[in-house]
Amino acid sequence: MVEKSSFGSSLMETIRENLPAAIVIAGTLVLTIVIGVVAGPSQILNSIITGGMWALLAVGLALVFGVMNVPHFAHGESFMVGAYVAYFVFNPINQSLGESPNPVLGMLAPFLAILASGLAGLILGVILERLLFYPLRVRTKKGWVMNAFLLTVGISFILTNGTTLVLGPNFRGIPRYWDVPPLNIFGVTMAVDRVVAFFVALVSIAALWFFLRRTRTGRAIRAVSQDELGAQMMGINLNFIFPLTFALATAMAAISGASLLFMFQAYPTVGLKPLYFAWYVVMMAGLGNVVGAIVGGFIVAVLQTATQQFFGISWTDVVPTAVMIVVLLVVPQGIFGSKIRSA
Amino acid sequence: MATDMRQKQNTNPVVAFLHSVGFTPLGAVLLIIVALLPLVPPFNQEHMIRWLIMGAFLAAQAAAFDFTAGYIQVVNFGFAAILGLGAYTSGILANTSPVLAVQPGINPWIGIFLGALLAGVVGLGLGWLTLRLQGIFAAVMAWFVGIALMGLVRNLTELTRGPLGMNPRSLLETTSNLPYYYIILAMMLVTYVLLRLVTRSNYGLAFKAIGQNFAAAKASGINPTRYRVLNFALSCLFAGWLGGFYAHYFGSLTPQTLMHTSKTVEVLALAYIGGRGSMWGGMVVAFPFVFGIEQLRSNLTQLPGLHLVIYGVLMIVVMIFYPDGVAGLVDWVKGLIRGSET
Repeated sequence: MVEKSSFGSSLMETIRENLPAAIVIAGTLVLTIVIGVVAGPSQILNSIITGGMWALLAVGLALVFGVMNVPHFAHGESFMVGAYVAYFVFNPINQSLGESPNPVLGMLAPFLAILASGLAGLILGVILERLLFYPLRVRTKKGWVMNAFLLTVGISFILTNGTTLVLGPNFRGIPRYWDVPPLNIFGVTMAVDRVVAFFVALVSIAALWFFLRRTRTGRAIRAVSQDELGAQMMGINLNFIFPLTFALATAMAAISGASLLFMFQAYPTVGLKPLYFAWYVVMMAGLGNVVGAIVGGFIVAVLQTATQQFFGISWTDVVPTAVMIVVLLVVPQGIFGSKIRSA
Repeated sequence: MATDMRQKQNTNPVVAFLHSVGFTPLGAVLLIIVALLPLVPPFNQEHMIRWLIMGAFLAAQAAAFDFTAGYIQVVNFGFAAILGLGAYTSGILANTSPVLAVQPGINPWIGIFLGALLAGVVGLGLGWLTLRLQGIFAAVMAWFVGIALMGLVRNLTELTRGPLGMNPRSLLETTSNLPYYYIILAMMLVTYVLLRLVTRSNYGLAFKAIGQNFAAAKASGINPTRYRVLNFALSCLFAGWLGGFYAHYFGSLTPQTLMHTSKTVEVLALAYIGGRGSMWGGMVVAFPFVFGIEQLRSNLTQLPGLHLVIYGVLMIVVMIFYPDGVAGLVDWVKGLIRGSET
């Protein structure tokens, strides 16, 4: 990090040090303005709100990779679990509200659902880490990244098919969380659900940020991500840090699944698309780079909106991959730099 | 394993020949049994032969997949999409009906190889792009490219009819499944033997060295990127080739049923349960696997997806606790028998 000296010169220095990032951010801003001019400010607002969600998802992914060196492929399934939990918490409350209206509970019910999802995510994360990654780590550390990756593929496979088995392939969704008229922001009408989802993402990211920066445990997590062995020698217990990290990441994904329930209905393979975008963000920003993932979330959301706007919605799978090929050719370590530690 | 082979090489010319193409006597016997199976009841029913075809198709895929995953430790996460690329290429090239925008009408027997070639070229490009970096980049990028390929197939409706699916013409003018079985069995054999010969050569040594220790291989004068790209492209080539068979046998291609990531995961699980780095482990598992899955599916219709859950659990257990898989188990039993002889 650059020390704060005179503002102008330090800014120039930062740009020079992170030239690819500066170029991409500038390009994104230009693209945002173009979108705003062509498609109106509603599309800009849309990109920002989607960006918050991709950032929240990508932060979890980056955290797990940075700290545990696990390329997490079941992150989308955490999203899916979050969506289901939110549905099963919110729907009964909503139904009982239909019989006996209660405005306070009506306001709070969605938050209850989102909190419950976060909690479920924490528990699921701890279980998965203890049950699967711990034994693998005990057996061998050889080829860890690849093995861990395959393990998460297996988890994803079991969770999606297990959900189909237990709950069936039906879609479970809600039209909206809050039955209130849409807000008007800068002349753009925007559903309350979307705005709240964005703020949930912001608050979650800020909370994580605070936790990682300001608390003792958070510092321990960052220490492990910098140097696992060194951190261990300083008395940091990996058997506490790893489950905690995995739980936090899972909870982040579950929270985004819950707060986007009005957009993504809960069904067994709902996590695939969010997973794709989360991975896209971390590949672009740099594997394991948590700060990069936050900025990257917004960049990818703008890119996504631009693709829809200029190529049509059916090309959203194709154009981003072409962009990623360019990124890998020019800056393979990602635009904000990778924190990868071993092959 | 390797020392056993060398000891036995001189004893018997037949055995020596089998070893030179990557078979143990036991493996050869299994192959003969599998080849004769559709002639014996109850396996001579058409639906059973279809299962056998599926088994051979999956077996060949597992071998081609393990060639990359088991040797250079790179997971081709877009394997199914590459296979689909071969299938669609061959299917479109063979097209004669006015349903699609082009009617090249190329003989499927030639088209299959052209599809394989295109898949190989795409694999070469993808490998060249990603294999300079750590393996995880190749895995994720292959996944992205796979999703993009699926998106292309969905969008280029004039060529592929998109999600509606296209119906490539058949390889043979017969309604019987048996000839197709022997074709795919031969393709499986060619895939396995050719890839096995590669792994037996100096290239194979280099692959293994790179997979075990990238830095050490580099230090001893191997150019890891070149070997990894070569390996990756070769695996993609065979995937495309097998895709061509799929196109002209099943006669129906849709992006979802052919190119989806879950299809890659199925092959991946097969290769891992079979034992990574063995190439034959996945092939041995493929046949009983297809029969088991089909039995489960027909007997447990009220529990959709149970077979896939079992499959996933098996894969995870093997991965964590017994990474050598079925191949390791067989070697262990062999070791026991040999131990009791001496």
